Amino acid sequence: MNAPLLRVENLQTHLHLRRGVVKAVDGISFEVHEGETLGIVGESGSGKTMTCLSILQLLPTHGGGKIDGSVELDGENLLDLSEDEMAERIRGPKVAMISQDPMTSLNPVYSVGDQVSGPFLYHKLVTTVRDAWAAAANGLRRVRIPSPERRLKNFPHQFSGGMRQRVVTAMAIACSPRLLIADEPTTALDVTIQVQIMALLRSIQKESRVGIILVTHDLSIVAGLCHRIAVMYAGRIIETGKVRDIYRNPQHPYTQALLEAIPHLGQKRTRLAAIPGQPPNLMDLPTGCRFAPRCPKRMSVCDEYPSATNVGDNHVVNCWLAAKH
Amino acid sequence: MGLELHDLSKHFTVRSDRGRATVRAVERVNLEIPEGQTVALVGESGCGKTTIAKLVLMLERPTAGAVTYDGKSLHEMSRTEIKDYRRHVQAVFQDPYASLNPRLTVRRIITEPILAHYRRDRATLNARVAELLDIVGLPASAADLYPHEFSGGQRQRIAIARALALDPKIIILDEPISALDVSIRAQVLNLLMDIQEKFGLTYLLIAHDLALVEHLSTRVAVIYLGSVVETGPSEQIFASPRHPYTQALLNAVPRPDPDYVPKAAESFDDTGSALEPPSGCKFHPRCPHAMAVCKTDNPPLAKLADGREAACHLLTGPHAVPNA
Repeated sequence: MNAPLLRVENLQTHLHLRRGVVKAVDGISFEVHEGETLGIVGESGSGKTMTCLSILQLLPTHGGGKIDGSVELDGENLLDLSEDEMAERIRGPKVAMISQDPMTSLNPVYSVGDQVSGPFLYHKLVTTVRDAWAAAANGLRRVRIPSPERRLKNFPHQFSGGMRQRVVTAMAIACSPRLLIADEPTTALDVTIQVQIMALLRSIQKESRVGIILVTHDLSIVAGLCHRIAVMYAGRIIETGKVRDIYRNPQHPYTQALLEAIPHLGQKRTRLAAIPGQPPNLMDLPTGCRFAPRCPKRMSVCDEYPSATNVGDNHVVNCWLAAKH
Repeated sequence: MGLELHDLSKHFTVRSDRGRATVRAVERVNLEIPEGQTVALVGESGCGKTTIAKLVLMLERPTAGAVTYDGKSLHEMSRTEIKDYRRHVQAVFQDPYASLNPRLTVRRIITEPILAHYRRDRATLNARVAELLDIVGLPASAADLYPHEFSGGQRQRIAIARALALDPKIIILDEPISALDVSIRAQVLNLLMDIQEKFGLTYLLIAHDLALVEHLSTRVAVIYLGSVVETGPSEQIFASPRHPYTQALLNAVPRPDPDYVPKAAESFDDTGSALEPPSGCKFHPRCPHAMAVCKTDNPPLAKLADGREAACHLLTGPHAVPNA
């Protein structure tokens, strides 16, 4: 297999607050290959958004954030780069992000043309504003917004939610990045619009072989779109594998419980297998397996953190149950 | 009898580029909410489902038509009848971070509705609080804590306890689990199902998550731009949706199955606006089966052979297409 586009090794993002240390991301490793989509699934507070922000080094500096480990993009460790290098060479041309809420990620006082043409000018892909607007019109055409030249003059509030998410996507792919990070790109949208955005991401990937990290809390959304999935819980990846293995043969009790605890279409008025308890406090984590306090299959050995077990075909699980077999 | 909506409309006047305009948020909705059932209102954002809930809760006055309870229109009720109605109809809202007063203890939050209706001494109230907390699965010690000391799922339990405090008959559930963590949702869903069975409650469920709706509801009303386009028992609607909009909605729902790819509607036309609804059938600009008549005539909601109702020229009337 070719060298991965992105290799994250033992990434730790700890936030040093007055009240203590929040271990938002606590030693995770994963890879994304060219043309591949990795789904990162987890509930709120599991560290998935912090992982994205750590790759881009967009953590607020005053927040006491400390990133350790390595984030290699095409063999270059992004954590060694200066802020200027990140801004000029990485964010935009190499790694771009689509954020969750298209209502707040566009500036309401600038026209869409001003905003979509921005990346072309900043990264000096064109020299004149006129060329930048022409490039922006092409950008909107790529994300299939009808009559792009006219729409460029509109302001964000004149677009619907789905159209705004297309605009944000057009900005993200403006400089043909190698890696696209989509953080809950459809959570704020209706299902009918959601499938259109997902279809759009799929076609962009087909055209450009871009690697995609798709972050979501909803296991159903990633099923049709991802090649591989990493399930996060309390700052760690607890199971990762090909999409089919994760859905058909989940090994970690948390993954199993997540799949059972969500109502699916075609399932009628039965009690769901609820997961008892709540996710742990990131300032006061259990020493052993972090899911153990809620786990129905807990054993005494779970007081120690389980090592990774490969159960076949790069399907890796951090659970003593898998380690025993 | 229970709750019924008769030709219910709610229009809002807004200022737009060209002076005043009317938003037809709810347009001639007829719906029965039979006792003991869970009726779900589904549709995209902006379709008017929350406005319907507000009309039922008397937080908005209808522009035309009426909400009736046991045969009597809400706006013809006397003060005492309205007080009774408010005891019978309670609500649980989407965001338990916003719907609980942060400055009150859980005890005050739960006893507030009781004290608005009855005089009760402290011992009775405390016993009632303990009982309600037990029903929703919280320890009695929770009564003296404040909302910020609880997680989202626990807060939603407090909101449910408050809704139950007056022994209501009907509870409006407006997106009751969408603000909660995924691993917590099932707990709250199970609780809602348990208390419905225990107290014989009627639910009016507002949700955009169709899998949740299928899971919880017995009847469904699909709403598009303020009007009901298809309604009937939820088994029927989910097993064989007939209105093209219902079909598009269900086709778009993702499933936790790597071999299933949801179908995107071919039209890139976004949701129409309630400010300038299209002529004829409001769904025709997005409809894959639109005919000439759909652009001019709005189809009425009519009964189909299997008992459900739908508003579509393909299904009823002179333009109906057999086996559509």
